[in-house]
Amino acid sequence: MDIDKIFSRVSMNVDQAAVKIVRTRVEQVRFSNNEIDISNSWNTEGVSIFLAKDGKTFAFDLRNEEQLDRTLNFAESALRNIAKNNDFISLNDRKQTYRKRKSNTVKLTELNPESTVNEFIDDVRPFVKRVGGVLYKKEIENEVKTNFNEGRENVKGIELVARAFNDYNFPAQVSFMTASDSELSGLEESRSELLDFTRKVGRSVEGKDGKYTVIFHPLCFASIASYTIPMASAFQVDSGMSLFAGRMNQKIGVPEFTLYDDPTDETSIGSRMLDDEGTSTRKTAVIERGTVKNLLHNYSTATKSGTESTGNAGIIAPNPWQVLVEPGTEDVSDMISSVKNGLYIVNTWYTRFQDYREGVFSTIPRDGIFRIENGEIKESWSGIRISDSLLNIFRNIQGISRQTRKVKWWDETLPTKSPFVEVSDVNITKSK
Amino acid sequence: MEDLLDKALEYAIRKNRFAEVRFFKSEKNSILMKNGTLSGTGYSSDGGLAIRVINSSISFGAINKNKWEDVKDEIDRISARATQKGRNSFSRAKEIRDEWRVEQKKKIEDISFEEKTERLKEVDSMLSEEKMNMRLLSLSDNIERETLLNSEGTRIMSTLPKVGFTFFMAYMEGGNYEQGYFQLGYSGGYEALDYWRLHEVMKHESKVLKNAVKATKLKEGNYDLVIGPEVSGIVAHESAGHPSESDRIIGREMAQAGESFIKEGDRGRRVGSDIVNLVDDPTVEHSYGHYRYDRDGVKARKTYLYKEGLINEFLSNRESAGRLNMESNGASRSSEWDKEPLVRMSTTYIEPRDYSVEELVEEVKEGIYMRSFTEWNIDDIRFNEKYVGREAYHIVDGEIKEVIRRPVIETTTTKFYSSMDAIGKDLDFVAGTCGKGDPMQGVDVWMGGPHVRLRNIFVR
Repeated sequence: MDIDKIFSRVSMNVDQAAVKIVRTRVEQVRFSNNEIDISNSWNTEGVSIFLAKDGKTFAFDLRNEEQLDRTLNFAESALRNIAKNNDFISLNDRKQTYRKRKSNTVKLTELNPESTVNEFIDDVRPFVKRVGGVLYKKEIENEVKTNFNEGRENVKGIELVARAFNDYNFPAQVSFMTASDSELSGLEESRSELLDFTRKVGRSVEGKDGKYTVIFHPLCFASIASYTIPMASAFQVDSGMSLFAGRMNQKIGVPEFTLYDDPTDETSIGSRMLDDEGTSTRKTAVIERGTVKNLLHNYSTATKSGTESTGNAGIIAPNPWQVLVEPGTEDVSDMISSVKNGLYIVNTWYTRFQDYREGVFSTIPRDGIFRIENGEIKESWSGIRISDSLLNIFRNIQGISRQTRKVKWWDETLPTKSPFVEVSDVNITKSK
Repeated sequence: MEDLLDKALEYAIRKNRFAEVRFFKSEKNSILMKNGTLSGTGYSSDGGLAIRVINSSISFGAINKNKWEDVKDEIDRISARATQKGRNSFSRAKEIRDEWRVEQKKKIEDISFEEKTERLKEVDSMLSEEKMNMRLLSLSDNIERETLLNSEGTRIMSTLPKVGFTFFMAYMEGGNYEQGYFQLGYSGGYEALDYWRLHEVMKHESKVLKNAVKATKLKEGNYDLVIGPEVSGIVAHESAGHPSESDRIIGREMAQAGESFIKEGDRGRRVGSDIVNLVDDPTVEHSYGHYRYDRDGVKARKTYLYKEGLINEFLSNRESAGRLNMESNGASRSSEWDKEPLVRMSTTYIEPRDYSVEELVEEVKEGIYMRSFTEWNIDDIRFNEKYVGREAYHIVDGEIKEVIRRPVIETTTTKFYSSMDAIGKDLDFVAGTCGKGDPMQGVDVWMGGPHVRLRNIFVR
């Protein structure tokens, strides 16, 4: 696919056009119970085209250029007949300059997924009953061209998730991702952390409901942050169904809590240099020192709000790229030893909201729920649920570690760099 | 690319003990309306060749390049990966040669974007008049065409049109806020809009939210509970369908959606009262999860997951059935052409029995009628679950009384099914997008059931 040819063809009869081509070369290995289940490969390309004329918009995606003329006729006909899109103002018409990627990714590219997984299994297997997970090796090329800007970037990276069950058949999980050769040692560190967790987990007992101080492992807090930050999309806020609706410049957390969308960290796999309308991306503090500071904008939502694009297009709806929770100054072991009556939770899943406006949700901890009494891990728990609100969580943060992890797990977490976070009075419920 | 199918299969057979090649094409239209603004209109054409081979291990590849040399290179790469150490079980299956399609009364191809937009706008305007302050509505259609070939001689062609609608809506009054979400789906054409009674259903939903913001919570305690078909459906899906998926049972999803409280030897184990029958059936006509043959080329059939309260049969594909020394019962699905087929549900429901809704309610001294739900979740072995009511009422002396706000059930699968003492004769479905796999695959499903009565359930 040639972006110049496509752009010149689709932009002829419209006011503005944006063309994005994504080329994907991904290898994945899925494994369970100490053996590889399947090797998956993707070798694909696709083009997304956005057209605007007389205040109306139409978008279409194709897998090859052969369908372009037929689909373009259809799109142009639709543009004549449909209603105006009052959400759309314009594509970003300011000339952009893009950062250059500096990460070294030669070793990442040479990594053999099957061998890496088999080595991982062999190393972990003597110490656990069974291990499973997934390894991705990704190479994704994005090209964007609009009436005003054009750019191209290539993101390479790996993601590993491993979950192991110990002799008590209780699980622990780790996650690791990087887009830089310099961080490949993280694979080994993940292995050590997984074994450390499986040693900590004893025979689990049924948890008890109540209010507890909880130390969230970065994987768990990344999940909470990953459900929070999409609600800062100006599109979501405009719909009214968002924690951030009507809360600009309001304090919703402790001063130590800062939450960014940070596509500029190119050592992580969610990094982006340009968004879908060619705007250069930037680091955006959504919550700064506990106060709502910015929403995530494309050019149209920003113009309607009298501000600048944050480089988060989605031309219709802005999206976050990757999350950064600002680290603190505390040591995680000091945080654990200072807890008298609490829990240390490694991971969570199935987060659902009954009230997006107030952030009322529940989520189910898994893969390491440790009971802390007087600063020491006493036992493992199972069968509990966090039933609380994001506002309570952010207002009750008691401590943030200086140590961080870079994680990405399934659809539960965006690529995230997060510290360990201590929160008091977290409401824990359980089945009755 | 379709012309490369036979050539690709022939080439892949030479290198592997099993090969399967699928050509898939989908054409999708979508309209998104936010608070009355036409925010997004779009068309998506997706497709390519999906190739799966088995040797020492299983290897799957997706390619959408048109040149034979590119396809050949990809088959070489996929085949090389299949020589690595791994699992390679795959159950036996019959050779099938067939073609199937779902007919449309109002063809998707004949309805213009303008007309679809107008129909969505009518619903949105009605909701606006009902003072629903926050609205996100979407209408979409999709026609999937697939040709599946494998090295055992199977050749199946299919055409599957679908129409879908979702709403996400909220209402605020006096500082109180209530939100609602649900999804409708239909295999067929735009006759779906009449089938759904969309206008009527959405008007009802707006009233539900307006009533809920003014309602109060009931004191926590043990109550008899009558659930409506939407709640029956989510319960059937989450705590009968998912734990009965054989790939979960053997641990293949251990690092993602998890495993199951059901173990390999659990057939015949009691999980509910003896009136409980749980079904998954891809052959239900017009279901959003409808298909006649699964992605492995196995004929779809009705499966009793729980029968008379006992665990009865696991859902399987050829891979998981091979590992369990079973025959596949045709539950192999993938959300898109470029994803590996996994064990999935299609149309999961509690089988109706003999009670009218009135009879279910009139035998309740004090209880709760939970007609629909909002927040819900379940743990990764599908045992501890939570459902929060969206539309719910207090039942007193056999009569449905005042609206109550957000009643919360937090219980276990066995407690839930064991507490069922009467099952209605009605049957209704809602649509859903069921998530599983890595990368995440959201497949279209129906889930449903009748009204069901449960005794003595703790409600917050």
